[in-house]
Amino acid sequence: RVHSDGKPEKFQPPPKPVIIDKQRQREERRFLSPEFIPPRGRTDPLKFYIERRDMIQRRKVFNIPEFYVGHVLAVTTAEPYASEKASRFVGICIQRGGKGLGATFVLRNVIENQGVEIRYELYNPRIQVIEVLKLEKRLDDNLMYLRDALPEYSTFDTSMKPVSRLDNEEIPVNKLQVQMKPKPWSKRWERPKYNIKGIKFELPEKKMKEAQKWSQPWLEFDMLREYDTSKIEEKIWKEVSEELKK
Amino acid sequence: MMPIWTKSGEKHAVTLLKVQDCHVLRYVPKEESGGKRAKLFVGGKNASPFYKSESAMEIFKEAGVPRKQKVTTFNVTDDAIIKPGTPLYAAHFRPGQFVDVTAKTIGKGFQGVMKRWGFKGQPASHGQTKTHRRPGAISTNKASKVYRGKKMPGKMGNIYRTSFGLKVWRINTKHNIIYVNGSVPGHTNCLVKVKDTKLPSYKDCNKNPPFPTFFADGDEKLPEDLYDEEMFQFTDPSVTYA
Repeated sequence: RVHSDGKPEKFQPPPKPVIIDKQRQREERRFLSPEFIPPRGRTDPLKFYIERRDMIQRRKVFNIPEFYVGHVLAVTTAEPYASEKASRFVGICIQRGGKGLGATFVLRNVIENQGVEIRYELYNPRIQVIEVLKLEKRLDDNLMYLRDALPEYSTFDTSMKPVSRLDNEEIPVNKLQVQMKPKPWSKRWERPKYNIKGIKFELPEKKMKEAQKWSQPWLEFDMLREYDTSKIEEKIWKEVSEELKK
Repeated sequence: MMPIWTKSGEKHAVTLLKVQDCHVLRYVPKEESGGKRAKLFVGGKNASPFYKSESAMEIFKEAGVPRKQKVTTFNVTDDAIIKPGTPLYAAHFRPGQFVDVTAKTIGKGFQGVMKRWGFKGQPASHGQTKTHRRPGAISTNKASKVYRGKKMPGKMGNIYRTSFGLKVWRINTKHNIIYVNGSVPGHTNCLVKVKDTKLPSYKDCNKNPPFPTFFADGDEKLPEDLYDEEMFQFTDPSVTYA
């Protein structure tokens, strides 16, 4: 190229191509289902090992997808007394509880103006299919406050189509701030012990300050409450991924 | 404790019991023991030999076995006598059998009458002066004494108790683990005694048990896991009601 002056431009090398190795990126993301992590206690680790073997057995036969609190799931269960012997329920996952084979998750939906919550066990043999319809994490681990939020936030269409998603890295976090029904609520969600970031509190400042009276800032520094699971998680992740590949 | 599902989709809770280094220690014939049957002394978990006197270690030396944490007695018929020194395994029991489990309950220390015996206590308000968890009256006027065995505060727990009629769902021969239905007395990792049921309704449930016991060096090669017929194994596909 020649400038308007007539002088030749200094040679600029072309920019280096940025190589995104998609395979390596995919492997880097590890998800270990929270029920694999053993709780703190004096139980023999052999018990957790045997339970894990059973859980991996079940996962080989029946696919349990990766999901977090805030995903919209559709679960088909076999019911002995239902017509067609199978019932399908669609809902948002509010809570994931339990460890080991007894791990559960609660799905919430509002059907014909009636809020319905169903607790399913992940390893129950009566569950036929678990489909993830919509993938999005929310700001909290526990969405129990949806019971006191306006019903529009818990309604999901039963015939919703699964939202397509590539095998990307990150699961999008929905920073939705939910509007609540007028007080009284089932729990005092403004108190710091619940540590909720997903509610749009429209309470006066005075009430919010009063709620901070129940804060326990020393809990964060309590060394006896610490339970560092990083090493345990790595070991279990290796074990589980090796077994599942077989 | 773990959940277990049957083939019809029902859930049951199950306790895991591990058979850890059990050996037969001594055989006492019917005449020497004070009862109607012969006795077999069986020892549990291995422990250090340095904390007991020589006289206490004699039983273990005779049998040729390391010192055991716990020694119990089983009353045995003459055709079920086992030579001292033989190891006992979890495969002695089979799925579908019924079993009684004895253990020392969790010790709660000195407890009041409401927790220990389930008394109702007194109301919290309406004029009660310093009386909310007390036993109230302990006897009548005519008796003019307190009967022996009156329920009163005292040390609760840390005594032997038995749960009867527990079904065996599964046996793991590799790690020697018995899966027993329901709950069992005692804290986690406590020592427990497992016997065949004395209940008459389960008399016919043991079809072909390994008699007198399961010998590991014998001809039988058992698979790693033995399941009950009704239990759902995780290798099967999901349960459907067709």
